[in-house]
Amino acid sequence: MPTTTASAVCTTVGNNILLRLTSGERDVKLKALRELKNQIIGNRTKKLSFLKLGAVPAVAGILSDAVSAVDVADNDENDRIVKDIIVQSAAVLGSFACGFEAGVRAVLDAGADILIQRGCLVEEMPLLKSYMEVVDAGARSLKMIYQSKMAPKYDFLQEENMEFLLSLLNNESENVSGLGASIISHSCKTSLEQKLLFDAGVLKRLTSLLGGSLIQRDASLESIATIFKNNPEVVSQFVGPDTGRTLSCIIEIVKDRFARTRLLASLCLIVIRNASPCYLQDVGIKTKLINNLLELLDDPGRVGDEASFAFSSLIAEKEDMQKLAFEVNGVDKLYNHLQKGSLHPRRFEGILLALADMCSKLECCRSRCLSLQVLKLVVDALAHDSSDVRSAACMCLRSVSRSIKNLSAGSFMNETIVIPLVRLLDDTSTAVQVAALGAISNIVVDFTTRRSTFIRLGGVKLLVQLSKSMDSTIRLNALRALRNLIFLAEDKCKEEIFMELTASLLASLICDPEPSVQEQALALVRNLVDGRINSVEYIFAEDGIILDAVGRQLRIASKAEIEIQGMYVLGNVATGKESHKEAVMDQLLLRAENKAQSCIIKFLQSNDSRLRTAAVWAVLNLTCSSSPGSSGRLVKLHDAGIVSHVKNMVNDPCLDVKLRVKTALEQFNSFDDSLILCIFSPAASNNKASTSCLQFLTVRAVGELSHVVDPSSKEEESIANYFRFSMKKNKKKKSTRTVKFCFDVPADSL
Amino acid sequence: AHSEESSPPICSLLTVGQAFSGTQNVSNLQKEEAWRVNVRIQGCDLEHGYLCGTMEALNVPMADTPVVTFWEGEIVDAKNYTFYTGKWEATPEDDIRHWTKFPSFAPLLSRVEADGGKSLDLSNYPYIFMRWKEQYFVNVGTDCGLTIAGFYYVCFSCSDGSINGFYYDPNS
Repeated sequence: MPTTTASAVCTTVGNNILLRLTSGERDVKLKALRELKNQIIGNRTKKLSFLKLGAVPAVAGILSDAVSAVDVADNDENDRIVKDIIVQSAAVLGSFACGFEAGVRAVLDAGADILIQRGCLVEEMPLLKSYMEVVDAGARSLKMIYQSKMAPKYDFLQEENMEFLLSLLNNESENVSGLGASIISHSCKTSLEQKLLFDAGVLKRLTSLLGGSLIQRDASLESIATIFKNNPEVVSQFVGPDTGRTLSCIIEIVKDRFARTRLLASLCLIVIRNASPCYLQDVGIKTKLINNLLELLDDPGRVGDEASFAFSSLIAEKEDMQKLAFEVNGVDKLYNHLQKGSLHPRRFEGILLALADMCSKLECCRSRCLSLQVLKLVVDALAHDSSDVRSAACMCLRSVSRSIKNLSAGSFMNETIVIPLVRLLDDTSTAVQVAALGAISNIVVDFTTRRSTFIRLGGVKLLVQLSKSMDSTIRLNALRALRNLIFLAEDKCKEEIFMELTASLLASLICDPEPSVQEQALALVRNLVDGRINSVEYIFAEDGIILDAVGRQLRIASKAEIEIQGMYVLGNVATGKESHKEAVMDQLLLRAENKAQSCIIKFLQSNDSRLRTAAVWAVLNLTCSSSPGSSGRLVKLHDAGIVSHVKNMVNDPCLDVKLRVKTALEQFNSFDDSLILCIFSPAASNNKASTSCLQFLTVRAVGELSHVVDPSSKEEESIANYFRFSMKKNKKKKSTRTVKFCFDVPADSL
Repeated sequence: AHSEESSPPICSLLTVGQAFSGTQNVSNLQKEEAWRVNVRIQGCDLEHGYLCGTMEALNVPMADTPVVTFWEGEIVDAKNYTFYTGKWEATPEDDIRHWTKFPSFAPLLSRVEADGGKSLDLSNYPYIFMRWKEQYFVNVGTDCGLTIAGFYYVCFSCSDGSINGFYYDPNS
C-alpha cells in the first residue's frame, strides 16, 4: 500500500536522523542537524512529521549543551564544531518556527527562544567577530519566532530588557538590528510602551536603518509605524530637526522598487498621518499615497492582498481622501480588481472593505458603484465561504445603500438582495450577523410599499429574534433595523411588526441594561406611534407597559440620546386624543425619587439644544388650542413650574428652540382671552382665519406642516410658474411627524 | 473662509420624514391650474447642504393617477451652495429675479448682489433658501406629458414650517 510505504520511509529517515542527533560524537550530531535543516526548510509536511517525532526538544537539548560547552577564550577546532552546532541547531529551531504555528508552539514550549537569546546574543558573543555567525544565526531564528503572534511578549518596562533591545538595534549585523526592530513591531502595544521606546531614543537608530539594507529598511519601517500608531502625543514630540528628514526619507521610499517596501513605507506614513493630522497634509503626498496603494493592488501576492487594507486605513472616515481617491478613479480601479474573479479571500475582503470606505460618505462614489454594477458582485460575495468576505460584502452594501436617491428608486429592496441578506441573519458568525444587520438597517428604509418584500421573506421574525439575543451588539443592531423598518410604515405593516415584537418585549428593551439598546428601543417606539392617531394606541397595549417604561427611563436616564428619544415619544403620543394627552401629562408630572422637579424641567434647562427642542415640542402638543383639555393641562403645567421655564427660554441661543418657544407662548396666550396673535394676516374671504390659525398650530405641533397663504402675496407672472403650499382644510389630524430614522450611523451624524 | 456657524440653522420642521401639503399653481396667459401637492423630506444632510424627497402632484389634468417625483435639493448655506445657481441655464439675473419674489430675501439682496451671499451669516436667519431639482418620476413614465426639466427656487420658514417656491424652466 503506497501511502503507508511513503510514510514508513519518512519515519525511517526521520528516526534515523533523530537517532544520530543523540550521538555522543559531535561530528555525527552536526551532520544530522544539517540534514534535518535541509529536510524541513520550506516543507510544512516534513516540519509536522519531525515535530511529531519530538525533534524540537531534542534539538533544543543539543543547543543547550553546546552553549554550555562554549569557551569563548578558546578558538580551536573543537570550539569551531561547537559553534557550528549552535548555528545549525538555532537554524533548525528557527526554521520550525518559520510560518508554522505548531512549530512556534513547540519551540516556545521547549524554552528554545530563551536558550537562543542567552546562548547566541547575550554575554560577550556579540562582541566577538569570530562569533558573528552564531550571533547572526541566533538573531535570524529569533526573528522568525517574533514574526508569530504566539511569540512571548517582550517586556519593555524592564530596564535590562530595554538595554538589550538597544544593543540589538545598534548592532552592525542586519539580522541582529532586524531582530531588534521585529521585537518592537511584535511586542509594542500600549501607549506607555510607545513612549518608553520613543524616550529611549530608538527612533534615531531606526531612521538610520532606513538607509540600510532591504531587510533593515523593511524592519525599520514596520517598527516606526508601531511606535507611532494611534499615539498623537508621541507623534507630536516627533518635532525637531530630524522630523523633516525622516518624513522625506520615508516619502522617498514610497517609490522603492520593491513592492513590499513601498507598502510598508505607505503604511508608515498613514500611521503618522492618522495619529497627527497636522503632518502630511499636502495634496501632493495625499495623492501619491492613494495612487501608490491603488497600484500595489496589481501585485499578485501578499502585498497586493494587504494593499487594500492599507488603502482603507488611509481613507476611512476622511471625506477629503475619499474625494481625492474618487478623482483618480479609485472606484473603477477597485471594481476592476473585483471583476477578476477567483480572488484570494483576503484580497476579496480587502477590496470590498475599500469600496465600503469609498462609499461611506460620498454620493458620487455610491452612484459610480451602482452604475458599474458593483452590486451584483457584492451580492454574490454575501454567500462566500469566508465569513470575513461575507462581512465585508455586508459593509459594502451598507455604505452603498446610504444613497437615499437609490433607496427611493427601489434599487435595493428586491429579492436578489434581500434573500441572501436575510439568510445571513442566521449566520454562524456573530460578526457577519452584525454586518448584515447594518446593511438591512439601511435597506428597509423604504418610502413606498416595498418593505412588504422584506416582511414576506421572514425578515421581521428574524429581527425580533435577534433583538432578544444575549449579545448586546446584536440586540442593538437588530433594534436599529426594526426602528428603520417601522419608520413611516403603513398601518398593516406596523401591525405585523408589533404583533411579532409584543408590548412586553418592547417594554423590557426600553429598560435594557445597555443604554444604547434603550436608545434604539425608544426610537423604535417613537416611530411606531407616529402616523395616524390609532398608531398612538400601541403604546397603551397591555395596560400601558410601554408608556410606563418610557416614563421610567426618562426619570432615571442620564444619557442625552435616551432622553431625546423618550421625550419625542411622549411628544408624539401627545398629538393623540385627550386620553393620550392626559396619559403623557401623568408621566411628565410624576417625579423620580429624590427629585424636586419633574424631568421635563431638567430637559428644558439642558445644555443640549436637541433636548430642549424635544421638550418644547411636547409642551406644544399638550397645549394646542384646538384640544378641549388643553387649558386644564396648561394650568397643571403652570403649577408644576413648567410654563415659567418655557417663558424664560424666549431668547434661547438655539434658533429652533427659540422659534418653538415663541409658538408655545402664543399658544399659552391664546388661553388668555387676549387677541389671538395670528402670524398670517387672513384674507378677507377666509373667515376661518382664527380656526385656521389654531389648526395650523396643531398641525405644526404634530409635525405635518402646512400654512395658509396670504392671498395678497400672490403674484402674477406670465412666464414662471409658482407654487405655494397652502393649509390643509382637512380637519382629520395626523399624528406625529417628529420621527427619525437612522442609517447605520445615527441620523444626527448623517 | 466659511465657518460652520454661518450656515443656516437646524430646524426641527425640516427634517427627514416631515411632510408638507399645499398647492402648485400654474398661472399664465394660457391657463390657470392648481394641483394639490404633497411633499415628503426623505434625506437631509446639512453638512453637505443636501436635501431630498418626493413630491406628489394630485389632480394633474393629464395624468390618471397622482404623479410622484423624486427631487434633490441644494441648501444655500454659503459653504456648499450660494444664491447663484451656476447651472441649469439659470443666470445670476434669473437667480436674483426669483429670490426677490420672497419677501424674506429682501434684507439679503444687497449682500447677495455683491458676492453671491458668501459673506452672509445665515445661522440666525429664520428662513432657509434652497433649490429643488426633480430627478426622476417614481411612479409614471417620462411620457406622462409632464416635465421635470426645470427646478424650484424655494424658501422655507423656520418659524412655521411653511414653504414657498417658484418653478423655473427656461424652455417651458
